[in-house]
Amino acid sequence: MRNFCRSCTQSRPQLLSSPLVFRSSPYLFFKARYLSSTQNNALSRFDGAPILKYVRQKVEERSKLLSLISDDFSNAEDVSLAKRIKDLEPLETAWKEWSNTRKSLQETLPLLDDADPAMRALAVEEHASLLETLTNLLDSTFPTLLVPASDTAHLSALVELKAGVGGSEASLFLAELVRMYTRAANTLGWRATTMSSNMLEGGNGMKDAILEVKGDKAYDALRWESGIHRVQRVPATEANGRVHTSTVAIVVLPLSEENDSHAGKDELFSPDEIKIEVMRARGAGGQHVNKTESAVRLTHLPTGITVSMQDERSQHQNRRRAFQVLRARLMDRKLSREVMERRAVRRNLVRSADRSEKIRTYNYAQASLPPMLIFYSVIAHTKLQDRVTDHRLGLSLMNLMSVMEGDGLQEILQALEERYRNESLEEVLTQ
Amino acid sequence: MIPAPSTRQLVVALKRSVGARAAELELKWMRQAVEQPPIPASLHPTPTFEEMLARRVAGEPLQYILGSQPFGPLDLIVRPPVLIPRPETEDWTIRLSERLRPTKSKPISILDLCTGSGCIALLLCHLLPPGSAHATGIDVAESAVQLAKDNGAFCGITVLDNGPPLCADFPKWDSNTFTPLLANIRDPAFVIAANLRPPYDILTANPPYIPKSQYDTLPGSVKDYEDPRALIGDLDSGSAQGLSFYHMIAALVGDKSRPILKSDGIIALEVGDGQAQEVARILHEQAQVHHIEIWRDPWDKERVVVGRSSP
Ligand SMILES: C[S@@+](CC[C@H](N)C(=O)[O-])C[C@H]1O[C@@H](n2cnc3c(N)ncnc32)[C@H](O)[C@@H]1O
Repeated sequence: MRNFCRSCTQSRPQLLSSPLVFRSSPYLFFKARYLSSTQNNALSRFDGAPILKYVRQKVEERSKLLSLISDDFSNAEDVSLAKRIKDLEPLETAWKEWSNTRKSLQETLPLLDDADPAMRALAVEEHASLLETLTNLLDSTFPTLLVPASDTAHLSALVELKAGVGGSEASLFLAELVRMYTRAANTLGWRATTMSSNMLEGGNGMKDAILEVKGDKAYDALRWESGIHRVQRVPATEANGRVHTSTVAIVVLPLSEENDSHAGKDELFSPDEIKIEVMRARGAGGQHVNKTESAVRLTHLPTGITVSMQDERSQHQNRRRAFQVLRARLMDRKLSREVMERRAVRRNLVRSADRSEKIRTYNYAQASLPPMLIFYSVIAHTKLQDRVTDHRLGLSLMNLMSVMEGDGLQEILQALEERYRNESLEEVLTQ
Repeated sequence: MIPAPSTRQLVVALKRSVGARAAELELKWMRQAVEQPPIPASLHPTPTFEEMLARRVAGEPLQYILGSQPFGPLDLIVRPPVLIPRPETEDWTIRLSERLRPTKSKPISILDLCTGSGCIALLLCHLLPPGSAHATGIDVAESAVQLAKDNGAFCGITVLDNGPPLCADFPKWDSNTFTPLLANIRDPAFVIAANLRPPYDILTANPPYIPKSQYDTLPGSVKDYEDPRALIGDLDSGSAQGLSFYHMIAALVGDKSRPILKSDGIIALEVGDGQAQEVARILHEQAQVHHIEIWRDPWDKERVVVGRSSP
């Protein structure tokens, strides 16, 4: 079975098999599937891949187009023909490489059984390297050429977090998630800033927060974080050691480069659609008052979306921030609308994020269990272990701490991105 | 000896005095300032968090404690007793900058009276295209002139020390320039004494406008920390409505023997609560200012009187 075929898209380890992604993840499946099968078998498995059939079709289409085009560019359609031919050129090049490599591989096969051990050793080496090339073409080069480039790759992200069920535990966990994303952003070379946060009265937790993550592909990488995140653990304050379940709802929004909020020229809204309010009365104002009074609320009249911002020390900054959030929300709407429209015209296999879906669970080891319970827990081994489960990937990572420190999250993000790419590819292949 | 109050007690005290929500924000800003001082230590030695908290509870304005105040996209240094720039001023300065369309080939000259921290002149210089604006700021307080200079340097605006540039020299400058000067605008000869180069394209001012009678009722964070000279708008004589400086500025603009503004030059004056109509009248009657507009601030108060000078 190839990893792009229709029947195995749901949360199967095959989806995670790209050699690009999980080189360093021992707990994940690996491309070894190809290599472990008997040598001959490997080739025939390759040949059956739907993606190959598709690529071959495209290459044939290109030769047909080449034969249609007139030598002297005399026909009206020639320009568009030439463009399509040009567009298919990289695929043609990759296909040639595929065919040549495949041929070489076939030639090495008899040598694998050669009588001369030196020859045999050489052949094994050669064979392995050719196989690697083929795998790469199949898993990475072809998909990259077939799946259209993301048109949101340039966008940064806003991560909005809201505490759900679980009271102060949810707030505590929310603060930990903010930290997790901040750290992950740093390792990935992005810049993360907590744009706004509402602290829990008298505690360390946050009722909600908005995190700005600036950098290339930040939105594309983080968008699958939208959904309900669940934590299961014994709260530090819980005397009787009962495990609580709390949730945090996350929405990741696309953040475009800002243009000035005052000059307000914007394709997402026009200035007269925005009502700007300052939050509090200032008495006489001006020289009479030097209290920091900078809260701002925007209302987008056509949609009723409101954004309040008070975390910055000046009107101007709060206004700028509020406009950023508003723009991100409107952009988010626009993108979802486009997905829906596309879905209406053709069967769309790519899932869009469902924000009410429970996407991930963070389980903490019950270190504070009373002795009796620990005894039982040892029997039910996993109970004692820290782990993170992503329900969409059907994947549990035993390195909860590394995830919360940001490093482990990278792997999940990559797996989700990979899943998305596979779904996109599948969509191309079934068109 | 009474032991120093604990951080916890101070936090409670702060909440009591400014409210829980405001206290939470202020605490956050203090922590941020400790972690990442907005102003280099050479210009503003950063206190510890506990010191900040104690000073705040004692009534000192947060801005003086943190050492900075954002003003539009700028971060300005603030230093007692120079007036802390207000959000109302920020709002109308940005609005004014959007009205102006100078270019490097058609640069403008700006005179900012009562410049204080330099906030108005500096924000205009920052927002207008490079080489298109040359501002001069006047203040009677040495502390203000020094702060305005520091702010110019801190904001990356070219500060001129040898007096205002000649109009004829404007094209030489690729950047905008700011010249803060010490002078008393009550002195009838200050234009000559300060070596100003009238006539100007723009005159801005946020002069002291608080009536003497209201001064005693001001909040402690204003009255006990900010310079009374920056606040009180009544001089020894006069009507005690806080309007002395507007009469003075009207006389300056109205004196056609030595015009301070070009014909159709823009004048923009910030005013106190309830003063706009009266200031508009003064400008109209005493200085023949026309096309007068009154701009409201974000809190819906009449805040700025804007007009054009007659020939
Ligand atoms: C209300 S503050 C304005 C400061 C600054 N422009 C602002 O908007 O934040 C008024 C300023 O006028 C200055 N001032 C007061 N009397 C003055 C005078 N006679 N001549 C020049 N400046 C004066 C004060 O020193 C003070 O800095």
